[in-house]
Amino acid sequence: METRVREEGPCHVVAIVGSADVNASATLREALLGAVEAGKTRIVCDLSETDFICSDALGVLVRAFLKARARGGFVHLAHPQASVRQVLETTRLDHLFEVFPDVASAIK
Amino acid sequence: MAHCRIDNADASGWTEKVLPTRLEAIRAAERDLLAEVDECGYGEDCHFAVRLAFEESVINAMRHGNRMDPAKRVRLAYRVSPERVEIRVADEGAGFDPASVPDPTADENLRRPCGRGIMLMRSYMDEVTFSPVGNEVHMVKCRTGCGPRR
Repeated sequence: METRVREEGPCHVVAIVGSADVNASATLREALLGAVEAGKTRIVCDLSETDFICSDALGVLVRAFLKARARGGFVHLAHPQASVRQVLETTRLDHLFEVFPDVASAIK
Repeated sequence: MAHCRIDNADASGWTEKVLPTRLEAIRAAERDLLAEVDECGYGEDCHFAVRLAFEESVINAMRHGNRMDPAKRVRLAYRVSPERVEIRVADEGAGFDPASVPDPTADENLRRPCGRGIMLMRSYMDEVTFSPVGNEVHMVKCRTGCGPRR
């Protein structure tokens, strides 16, 4: 897994590319929690190229969400593939996160 | 029951491996298991389900069972046939009571960063049973119905 970051409008967009498995958690933590700690509290996770997600990676997303919220920001999820969307629905994390069909709508 | 590949398996079709308690060790074992799953012609949904449940079960075994003690091992065994995938994962920990794990989908638990592994295993596999002590899990995925159960 790799992350690609870019600034789009007021948001810090983090594209998670590949498998967000247990071995990717450190990279994900750095990309998301590191960004919040650096003051980027409006984060959009672009999941369009994420083909797998485990509970460890979900935990990183939740931690980033809580940290961003505590600082007045947000973590939105954009464009999850069907398999990842199913995990979000199964865990009911689609009730915690706002999930958008694409990055553009998540930024608005 | 026919098996797709038995070169690493014993006469009953089980492939057994012993992993060190290191998260980096999961990937190679997972790759071998999924190669058999793919070889048996399971679809993407089953591949995803088996991968997710396998990863969650081994993470649990290393983190919660063995408490990342490098002196402890995780024993795993799997058997892939055209009809079903069976996986056993055992750790060297004291065990636990699966019924005591809070429901991570309850509203009050949604903000918890952990505790979703067992629920995902149960959702994506057709059978998940723990040994009486709780330090071994046996999971079955049947070819039919490969999405998560609701």
